[in-house]
Amino acid sequence: MNDMLNLVLNCLIPAQPSRSVPGGGEVGVEEFLGNASAFDPDPQQVVATIMTAVAQLAPEFAGLSDTRREQALAWVETEMPDIFARFLRLVYIGYYGQPALRPLFGVGAHPVHPGGYAVQPEDAATIDSLTAPVRRRGRIYRDHGGDHDE
Amino acid sequence: MTNEPVDVLIIGAGASGAAIAWSLLETRMRILCLEQGDHLPDDAFASRRADYELARYSDFSCDPNVRRQPQDYPINVEDSCIAPVNWNGVGGSTINFLGHWPRMKPSDFRARSLDGVAEDWPIDYATLEPFFQVNDRNTGVSGLGGNPAYPDYEPELPPIPMGRLGRRLAQGFNELGWHWWPSDVAILSRDHDGRQKCVNAGTCDLGCAAGAKGGTNFTYWPMLERAGVELRTRSRVREILVDPATGLATGVLYHGADGQLHRQQAEMVILACNGIGTPRLLLNSTSAEFPDGLANRSGQVGRNLMFHPLTGVSGVFDEPMHGHEGPMACSILSQEFYESDPSRGFLRGYGLHSGRSTTPMTFALGGYGIDKPIPWGAAHRRMMDEVYPNIASLTVVAEDLPEEQNRVTLDPDLTDGDGIPAPRVHYRLGENTRAMLKHGEARAAELLTAAGAARILSKGDGDGVWWRAGWHQLGTCRMGVDPQRSVVNEWGRSHDVKNLFIVDGSIFVTAGAVNPTSTIQALALYVGDRIKANIATLFD
Repeated sequence: MNDMLNLVLNCLIPAQPSRSVPGGGEVGVEEFLGNASAFDPDPQQVVATIMTAVAQLAPEFAGLSDTRREQALAWVETEMPDIFARFLRLVYIGYYGQPALRPLFGVGAHPVHPGGYAVQPEDAATIDSLTAPVRRRGRIYRDHGGDHDE
Repeated sequence: MTNEPVDVLIIGAGASGAAIAWSLLETRMRILCLEQGDHLPDDAFASRRADYELARYSDFSCDPNVRRQPQDYPINVEDSCIAPVNWNGVGGSTINFLGHWPRMKPSDFRARSLDGVAEDWPIDYATLEPFFQVNDRNTGVSGLGGNPAYPDYEPELPPIPMGRLGRRLAQGFNELGWHWWPSDVAILSRDHDGRQKCVNAGTCDLGCAAGAKGGTNFTYWPMLERAGVELRTRSRVREILVDPATGLATGVLYHGADGQLHRQQAEMVILACNGIGTPRLLLNSTSAEFPDGLANRSGQVGRNLMFHPLTGVSGVFDEPMHGHEGPMACSILSQEFYESDPSRGFLRGYGLHSGRSTTPMTFALGGYGIDKPIPWGAAHRRMMDEVYPNIASLTVVAEDLPEEQNRVTLDPDLTDGDGIPAPRVHYRLGENTRAMLKHGEARAAELLTAAGAARILSKGDGDGVWWRAGWHQLGTCRMGVDPQRSVVNEWGRSHDVKNLFIVDGSIFVTAGAVNPTSTIQALALYVGDRIKANIATLFD
């Protein structure tokens, strides 16, 4: 079951080996799915339903090429869109909820408080230069009497 | 805790409840605030955890129907195309708001006179202007003076960083000759008044652990509690009580932290529960004198619900935009299409607000411009590798018009944890709003293209309004001089119950097309000022 589930997860979130981005089935998402009751009323039933459908609709799933696996899962999605949507949501939460993966997408793994991110404010000259065309155009609001100067 | 009578009973410790409590401090009246939620302790902020993104979809969701914490009440949204969002606790929805701080504009108070739609307010921008100033000072506002889209005023602190994303969009606006300006924000650009400046965490919706965002948990409430205002948390009001002999409110029944039902007497009751909580409480407060709900002889309680329908458009650029760095919703905004121009096919207008791409999970689950999970499979890889890092977005913030059929009622079956009937929201988009959103989507795409985006992403399903976007809940107890067509008078006092006041967004007459918290709090300070000015004849 777990091997098949991980194949499905790898199909949903494919790896990107050149950037060391793991696939969905390589980082413990299957364990998350077993303990995801904070994110779905019945995650285990969701997983079981999807995996049963995969087994029934594509019993040879493990032996298929990547392209054929995608086609098989697309078939499952078409057959049961609501439960597939819940499954996909849980998979994304389980995968991207892992802080260690965030740097692969340019985001820090750290808690964002207290450290946050260093962002330099624009200097006064930059702001002045950028806003100059807007100021040159002049007032653009209406007052009570309806003036709308430009 | 005692239940001795108080002079002023405020229901709700959010934006407006805190502001009016501050205004009334100088009266030396005994002030009590009942709040159904609790304080958010420093170690409870999700952003202090490495897995903070998970909180956005569970216990820190902006949607009470997802969050389902003991202090939350459910909201039936089966008959609405927008789900209301909020926070229940000390600070109210300023805990998880995004800190965007534009004021309503002079023309927003005169929609009927200027454009022939909706109603005029019984007050105007000039009336509120001094209260905007006081509230900005109490809150700590960053921005840039000289915005040609407003009468002149000067934010106290310099603008927060625009970042690469903001600068790129600004260049696009300049290319098209459209208005834009650095956003006014209730976020500190430098250390101020004992609070720490923004650290660009990018998780404003999870509460600001730094205290840089001007939630009333960090601004008003520390002052108020030091000054002796009693804040009674985990205290949910069930009903406002009225003396049938005098027609005046006598106090409330509330469920306390001890699980018991208490009676609290008060000389004056002030409602500050937002545009859904306030009509819910009034409709739940029935009596022989008010069989259709307290202060509802006009039949207007709960009607004219206005949100700010939102949609978003993203552009994919040729360089990383670092969209997760910096306040979530605030960098720059454009009011090029804010004022009415009938040639556009709709009346009133909208704003274009810059938006960031947030974090990988949020993007994957339906980030800016998409509002549904991104594709899986090979397309998923391309989205995360080539699109996510490089997007900048614009949110179309549309003005909603008041319509009687858009309303809050009581659900006949659904209740909160104390058995109090829950609100049910009936809401659909008006034709004017649809036309506005369509126009806004097209202009946003035009701008992003001018700024250099090679690809545009949008919701693109024809009725492109975001679902979980009911941040601004307005109009359900509107103010006015005609008791037949409004719930409170021009200074927030109920037409029907002379010692009952409402100070939250429910008393808005129109919605404008800006985030309303700045105006809500200015309005609360104005009502407080009027209470003080009329104190000798307050209940006449």
